[in-house]
Amino acid sequence: MSVKYIPVQWNPNKWLYDIVMLAAVAAFLWVFLYVTPEVLSHERAINPQIHNARAFGACAFMMLTVILCIGPAARLDKRFLPLLYNRRHFGVMTTFVAITHSGYILNWYFNFSSSDKYVGLLYANSSFGQIAGFPFEIFGIFALVCLMILAATSHDFWLKFLTPPIWKRLHYLIYAAYFSVAAHVSLGILQDQQNHVFTVMFMAGAAAVIVLHIAAWMADRAEAAAKDGAWAEVARVGDFREGYAKIAKLASGDRVAVYLMEGKLSAISNACAHQNGPLGEGKIIDCLVTCPWHGFQYDVRSGRSPAPFTEKVPTYRVRVMGDMVEVHPDANPPGTYVEPVPLPEPEPELPEEGVTT
Amino acid sequence: MSDKPFFVGYLPAPGPLRTFLLTICILLIAGLGGAGFLMGAAQDDPGPGAFRFDYGRQTVTGVVEMTPYPVIHVVEGNDRIKPGDSFMMTAGGKAGVDGRAMPLNGQLAQVSGVVLERGDLYMMQVRGGQNGLQAAEGDAPQITPEPQGRWQLTGEICDGKCLAGAMRPGRGLAHKACANLCLLGDVPPIFVSTQPVMGEEFLLVIGPDGTRLPREAYDYVAQFITAEGEITKHGDLLIWEIDIDTIALADEGTE
Repeated sequence: MSVKYIPVQWNPNKWLYDIVMLAAVAAFLWVFLYVTPEVLSHERAINPQIHNARAFGACAFMMLTVILCIGPAARLDKRFLPLLYNRRHFGVMTTFVAITHSGYILNWYFNFSSSDKYVGLLYANSSFGQIAGFPFEIFGIFALVCLMILAATSHDFWLKFLTPPIWKRLHYLIYAAYFSVAAHVSLGILQDQQNHVFTVMFMAGAAAVIVLHIAAWMADRAEAAAKDGAWAEVARVGDFREGYAKIAKLASGDRVAVYLMEGKLSAISNACAHQNGPLGEGKIIDCLVTCPWHGFQYDVRSGRSPAPFTEKVPTYRVRVMGDMVEVHPDANPPGTYVEPVPLPEPEPELPEEGVTT
Repeated sequence: MSDKPFFVGYLPAPGPLRTFLLTICILLIAGLGGAGFLMGAAQDDPGPGAFRFDYGRQTVTGVVEMTPYPVIHVVEGNDRIKPGDSFMMTAGGKAGVDGRAMPLNGQLAQVSGVVLERGDLYMMQVRGGQNGLQAAEGDAPQITPEPQGRWQLTGEICDGKCLAGAMRPGRGLAHKACANLCLLGDVPPIFVSTQPVMGEEFLLVIGPDGTRLPREAYDYVAQFITAEGEITKHGDLLIWEIDIDTIALADEGTE
């Protein structure tokens, strides 16, 4: 969290994250570029330009696959949350790898003709009416444009400028890019493969993304299934733990995080003002709700970040009905103070008849 | 809410989480390295085609024939290229030599350049300007095409230059746009037959009545197709006059 914009707010965890990411990318490229040519028993080597293009293209696909697996993995198992922390650096790096891939392709396949290579890219193959032989490059171009938009708007300045909801929606372009890459690969290199190892790896990667997203969606759905009504039920009194939240999904689709702090309940929006991170999956640190994604903090009673920060999230009214904690679905304006509601002692469970305690 | 350690980006990672994160880091690096190996080692053989710079510059004299793609029928060869050989010509990059060859059609000419070779497929990338292709003194023998009848063939239309070794791999659907660019630049198109035709795997493919390969055929470039057409022998080169109306996609098992 910040009150000014600088290119990157480095800290030790970000350095570590980037070092690991770059090491993984370097490992992929080094092995592909310099180890596998020794293994291939071809009479004549693949052109270096094509070999390089394949290496960077395959690397971009793998990176994109990893990036898209992080989100649902973190929803299913919160130990993966740290991988979300600097994911945008991973994304920007993927864009550079993809640009390198496109550079090799442009300067090899589309070069050396009388027409400009960018023009050639658009008109060389116009067989749009067929699947086999379809100009699959168009999918690659679309995916690259999406990645460049995401990389260019990844900075917090754009988050603030566009507002988090719009920024978040814009960054759903990552899914369009991934589907486009899948089409690009399926209609391109997969059509020519005699050795199907790459095909199997491609399908396994895509399947991992799809399965993880479905699993995370089902987990969210199951969690929200039992909660409905004008005042939305959140959880039983005994379910709350000091410093942590229970999340309720409202009929509108919005989520509310109800926190227990110092024995009192307060409710704020589950969406962090930074990147819509899940505040309810965070915890209270130094009397402030702390977002699990990037550590943005809020006073749970007012939804306001501590001075000098200016972020605000909506708050909600809370009540306790019997043994059930409920939240009203109408959000208060961001930053509105709401008096916390004391959490009653949970009712002791009565022993069954005939059972002595 | 669980008691699991809570990570805040700008604070040191909680102790219990460190082992997990270290494992993930190692798996990520090793996993991507392993993926790089599997993907890189799974690449198919691009074939034996190549520029034969090791042969050195080749200079021969022969009769130029516009078929309509420029072909030279060698009259005076050298150690490597013998009289009676016929081969296609191309310029540097994705360009043919039609402009230079057309005025020499039916005449004796000297050609000089570097050879591209892929098995029986021979092509010469001629040098620029007159150094590459110039009129030669002497009488040009008549080249008489020999009709070989109508054939149905199965295989793939490629651009001759990339196929012959300018690019490895130089065929297939991933290479289709490049092949189209070459053909648009007047590089001679080649049909790679699945079965040898009179001992030849590669045929120069042209349009009906001695015209260039029609644009309609470009949709089928790099695809596995079957089609019919007349074959004629020009020197020792087979030329297939493809009948566009008979082109159909073939099953991979068809031969």
